[in-house]
Parts: sequence; structure tokens; C-alpha cells
Amino acid sequence: MDQTTVVQFHHATKKVGRRTLVSDLTFEIPAGEVFGFLGPNGAGKTTTIRMMVGLVKISEGDIFIKGCSISRQFKQAIRHVGAIVENPDLYKYLTGWQNLKHYARMASGIAKSRIEEVVELVGLKDRIHDRVGTYSLGMRQRLGIAQALLHRPSLLVLDEPTNGLDPAGIHELRHYLKRLAHEDGVAVFVSSHLLSEMQLMCDRVGVLQHGKLVRIETMQDFVRHNGSSRICVTIEPSSIEHARRLLAALSNEVLPASKPGQLLLPLSREDIPAVSKLLMDAGIPIYSIGMQERTLEDRFLEITEDTG
Amino acid sequence: MIGLIVNESMKIYSRRLTWILLAVLVAITIGTAVNGRESIVNQADWRTETTQLVQKYEERLKITELSPVLRADAENKLKIAKYRLDNELPPPANHPWHALLHTSGLIEIVIVLAIIVAADIVAGEYAAGTMKLLLIRPHSRTGILFSKYIAVSLFAVVMLLLLVACGYAVNALFYGAGSVSATDLFLNRQGQVIQLNVMLQVVKLYGLSLIPVMSYVTIAFAISTILRNSVLAIGISLFLMIAGNSMIEATARFAWLKYLPFANSDISLYIFHLPPRPEMTLSFSLTVLLVYIAALTWISWIVFRKRDVSI
Repeated sequence: MDQTTVVQFHHATKKVGRRTLVSDLTFEIPAGEVFGFLGPNGAGKTTTIRMMVGLVKISEGDIFIKGCSISRQFKQAIRHVGAIVENPDLYKYLTGWQNLKHYARMASGIAKSRIEEVVELVGLKDRIHDRVGTYSLGMRQRLGIAQALLHRPSLLVLDEPTNGLDPAGIHELRHYLKRLAHEDGVAVFVSSHLLSEMQLMCDRVGVLQHGKLVRIETMQDFVRHNGSSRICVTIEPSSIEHARRLLAALSNEVLPASKPGQLLLPLSREDIPAVSKLLMDAGIPIYSIGMQERTLEDRFLEITEDTG
Repeated sequence: MIGLIVNESMKIYSRRLTWILLAVLVAITIGTAVNGRESIVNQADWRTETTQLVQKYEERLKITELSPVLRADAENKLKIAKYRLDNELPPPANHPWHALLHTSGLIEIVIVLAIIVAADIVAGEYAAGTMKLLLIRPHSRTGILFSKYIAVSLFAVVMLLLLVACGYAVNALFYGAGSVSATDLFLNRQGQVIQLNVMLQVVKLYGLSLIPVMSYVTIAFAISTILRNSVLAIGISLFLMIAGNSMIEATARFAWLKYLPFANSDISLYIFHLPPRPEMTLSFSLTVLLVYIAALTWISWIVFRKRDVSI
């Protein structure tokens, strides 16, 4: 195991009865990385997170946090973890401060000054002595993050952390998580449905589908898979087939796009004049032509549709 | 572990419900004490009054359809009244300790309120989703479960103390502080009349009642842990309590019922020498209850430790 590895999945599998919810996960997350965990609903993301924090027993294999097995050395392993599992469910009848005090008592060596520090950090100073029942979802999310950071974890696990935050809050959280990873060396494990958000936040992504890890690579490689740039052409839907045959001369692959009348060509910017000349000469009117940046969403949909 | 118990207690006492329950307990205790206020016994006339009592109980014992419990009660009182006349022992003047012996029925209220808190302490965390963040701390599930159990037990103790303190205070307003060394006549296990310190009898009655209170707390706690539903836990526990109360008479007829917790859960029956069955003793009842407490706690522990938390 690498010195800087914080989490190590070792053939982790979860079976309930005869159903396999998560099968044979093997990967590592090093210190200082923001790792994005993607997958359609029901793929097993939440089960994986619950196995990682010991809420759900691992059927086969194991997960190690800083070298300690979560199933056999729970206390030593969980010491390094801060997490929000699904919703930031805190005690509504306690104040924000009492909630933090409650979790501080369960860890060792958390001084009052540390609680004040995290309260300041998540920007809840004005409302911290109010009952959590009066908080907005965004404020509860911030308090959730505060309790996860209280004991300075080496691994931060966040399930849908941007849920309920306003755009400014999302922006702030993204920068904070990046700083936490890149400057303080915390491994951040984020699962989210907000793919555009994940693209801005994560260093590496893993895609889970039907309980299996179907892809794991750096964000750049992931998005740029099969060449980074594509030309997107919009023409009359009825001329699509004609255009396809013509364009086969320039590009060995002509992909249909999500909208009717669009074609995607894995070519570079310099090829735009040639493409437009070819189509114009054949009398096919072009409504638009340009480069299209691929987004995480495109890749995500491609992958999950491929294997699905 | 201390930190965990502090946490659980903080959660109990930060809820408005808890304070409402405590207020209800205080109100009922005061109400009962005021209602039970007795006129001062005329000490000079005690022989006439006691003789009248003897006649009253003798008349009552002639009623053939008298229930076994009422018959035993009348026999006991008759025995004590006769003993007074024979030995020139006037009944003691009213005092708060004496009054507390006769309001032990209020322990039922403590049981109801303790059930409400115990039923919610585990199930409530599942319902609110807070169980997840509670379990991902460097503490064993065993520690977390038992900290909850201990916190509810302490809450039950607080309620019993509050019951005695409130009852004493109100009665002290009526009858004065009362003597710590006052004695009265009781019947021992063999049915012989003996003189005992009243305050110590009160301490024994309320102190040992913690065991029956805990047996209902443990039932509610176990259902709360196993079914993860506080409403069901309250409902089933209260049903068992009510059904159990009506089972004391049945226990006189069916011997096997004495091995269920119900007929064993009223300590005052032993203070006033009214055992549900002649062979039942205080230590028998306490042993039966402790066995149930241990078994239910063990089941809760097994379930809580093994279960996947997926809600």
C-alpha cells in the first residue's frame, strides 16, 4: 500500500440475500485528492458509502482507512473519517452549537476553540445558538459539514454536499473542499448527481453502474476520452444521412448528437473550413457549426448507456 | 462512556416533551396529595375508632363474593387493629412518610412516562435519520446502545425521586415535617404483626419499585430497538402494562402466571402483605423481573450490534 493512500477498497462486495448490491470494488484514494463518485440512481453509491463508514457490513472483501480495516478495527478506522451520509440529519431540537458539542464529546481532544473555528469556517456564527429546526436546508448542510470537519479527518465523505446550497454557497464549498484536499492533504470522497459541479470540483472520478465500478480515471482523461475536441454541425434533419456519407471522407467516425439534425465529428478546429465547404458544395445548408467542449455529463451518459 | 451518557441525557432534557412529562408528574403528585389529605385523627378517641374499624372489617369478611385481594386486605387490617387494642398502641398521627406509603399507585404514572421516553430513544434516532451520524464515531455500537439505556434509567430514577420529593413536600405542608423515626404496624412475611420504621418502608417501597419501572423501560427500549418504531414501542408497552395490571388476580388462580413480569411488578403488595400467591416473595418477584430485564437487554444488544443501518 502506498504511503499516501487514505482509503483502500479491497474487493469490497455487499450482498443482501441473493442480490449483489455492490460487487468487487477495488480502488484507492490518495491523500490530497477530490474523488468524485458517480452513478445512476440505484447503482449502489449509497451502499458503498455506508460500507465505507461501517453502517453496513461488508459481505466480502474489506475497506481500509489509513491501513485500518473498517470491519475489524472500526474505532481506529472511523477516527479518521468525517462524513455526511445522505441528508445532513442533525438533532432538530438542539441548537447548532449543542449538535457540535454532542459530536465533539464523541471524539477525543476537541477544544471549544476548535468548535468556534469550524462554526466560523462554515459561516454559521450568527445562528449557531438557534435550534436546528429553524435552519434552512442550506444551513443544515453547512452544519453537517461542520460536524464532519470537527475532528480534522483525513478522509471526508460527502453524499450530495451541494444539495440545498445556493450558487454562492456551492462556489464557496467547492473552493473550500479543493483547498482542504490540495493544501491540507485531506482525501475528499464526494458523491453527487450534479455532474457539472463534479467536473469543476473533482480530480478523479469513478463511475459505478449496477454495483460495479465501470470506469475510474482522472477528470481530464475521463472527459477527453476518444480525443478531446469535437466539431458539432447542425443541419436539416432530413439531410443527415446524406451528410454522414459525405463526411465519412474527412472523419472515420461520425457520431449522432443528442438533438436531431446534429452531427458530432472527432476533428479539430482546423477542420471546420473543410467540413463546411464539403457540405455547402453538396447543397446542404448549415445552420450552425463550431467546436463543442465535452462535458462530464456527455461522458457520463455515454458510459452508462453503453454498458446499460 | 461518561461523554456518551452526558450526550444522551442532554438529548433527553433538551426536548420539550420531557419537560411536559415532568410537569405532568408533578401536577398529578400534588393533586393526589391534596386529594388524599386526611383530617387529624383524634388521639384521645382512638380506642372507639379502632373498635369501629374492627367491626367494619369483620362485617366485610362476611361478604362471600369478596374478591381474594380485598379479603386478604380486610384480614390484614383486622389483624393490625386488634393488635392495637390488645397492646395499647394508638395509631400514629398523620405525617408525610405515612401518606407516601399510600400514594405508591403513582409509580404507575412514572412507568407510563418512562415508557414514552424509552420508546423513543433508539427508534427516534432512526426516524430522524440521526442514527447514521451517531454511529460513525469512534465508539462501539455496544457503548452507544448502553449509554442510551443508562440515560433512560437515570431519567426513571429522577422521576421516582421527584415523585417522592413532591409528595413529601405537599404532605409536609399539611401535617408538618414528620419524624424520621416514626414507626407503625406492618405484617411480616409470616403474617405476624411487627413494628417498623415508616420512612424506611417508604424508601424500600419506592427504591425497589425502580426494578418494576426498569422492567417496563426495558420492554419499551427493546421494542424501540428491534422495530425501530417509537409509536409501536409505546403502544405495545402500555398495552402490556394495562393487561398486566389486570393479571394480578388471575395469578392467584393460575400458578404459571407468576413467572410473567406482570404479577411481580407491584412492590406495595409485599409492603402490605398482599402477595398475589402465598408462595410468592419479594425476592422471587425481583428475581423474575431482573431475569426479564437481562434477557430483553441482551436481545436489544444483539439486534443493535448486528444490524445494517440503511434508513
